[in-house]
Amino acid sequence: MKIKISRPNIYLLSLSTLLLIIVLVFSFAVLIPNGKDYREQRAELRKENKELRKYQNFSDETLEFLQKLKADNRHIITAFDTAFNPDRFEKTHQAYFSSLSISKKVRLENEGEFSVYEVNTTSEINSPKTFYDFLDAVNKSDWIIGINFPIHFKRDGELIKSTFTMRVYSTQKEDLNSTK
Amino acid sequence: MKYSYIRARDKSALTQEMKLLLTFFSITLFMLFSTYLFLVFKEYRFSQERAEIIQERYDLNITLDDMEREITFIEKETFLSERVYTQNSVLKESITNLFDLIPSRITLSQADLLENGLILYGITPNKDVYNFMLQAPLRSIFHKTYSSFYPADNGWLRFVSTNYIESNKLEIPVDEESEDEN
Repeated sequence: MKIKISRPNIYLLSLSTLLLIIVLVFSFAVLIPNGKDYREQRAELRKENKELRKYQNFSDETLEFLQKLKADNRHIITAFDTAFNPDRFEKTHQAYFSSLSISKKVRLENEGEFSVYEVNTTSEINSPKTFYDFLDAVNKSDWIIGINFPIHFKRDGELIKSTFTMRVYSTQKEDLNSTK
Repeated sequence: MKYSYIRARDKSALTQEMKLLLTFFSITLFMLFSTYLFLVFKEYRFSQERAEIIQERYDLNITLDDMEREITFIEKETFLSERVYTQNSVLKESITNLFDLIPSRITLSQADLLENGLILYGITPNKDVYNFMLQAPLRSIFHKTYSSFYPADNGWLRFVSTNYIESNKLEIPVDEESEDEN
């Protein structure tokens, strides 16, 4: 039996086959691998985004902690950042003494990241009580000051003459020539 | 449509079926290419987003490092300030205790507070008052106690009380030791 296929039908069949092959090749060779890549990359990106969010949350928590720490220790931070001013110190603490004089600052060896300065103080007090009040006030002053030994008390008439050294701790690198 | 026996009508390769087929495949290929372009675009966007994430993580890392450095520094400041404040408070307590130690019958003229010692100058009615009321408590605090007495104009005794907490660094010259060591 002879099958007779007309020419237009042959064209039609050939073109259909050709186009079908193109579609299949394109799909299997290009589209499916690309789709697979796309899915993998999407999953990876989601994972990275999740990690980034975790990181951001950690960063936010750290920032919150830092801000709280700063707020809680505002006085201490400001005190460390304030350059010691002998005139202002005298003015602030004059009330505790009959007379008060502060010597020139001497730079000592740094304590870690902090600059340490030493000043000698000569003063006259009415009673030891005022000296106790002064020690309380020093802890609330605008600088971080430690009173150091030796401390000398000497009776001078009705007054007590006292000499002691103070160590000022600061984050400032000051020019000593510019201070008293 | 006109029919003629003389002139053949034009025949085209683009028959109705062929047109239908081409339309069908055109739509199919268009959809496939669109999908392909979508995938290519998405992959490009993913790579861009990944680069942004990497940059963001890098920036966050720098910020975190800065914050951690700042936290450490503030903690150091707090620790140092607490130490200084405690030292001042302890000093205040020490001086308070020292002056509380002095009995009313003894008058001090000078007090030198050293890092590991105390030197007191004063006047006492007699040695017994000094020994019982001042030296006894001083001996309970300090490891070494030396006392010197000199007569005062009013018949009382001037005294110098040198007291040390034992330390290897401190050496008291023998010459300066009191005539009345206890």
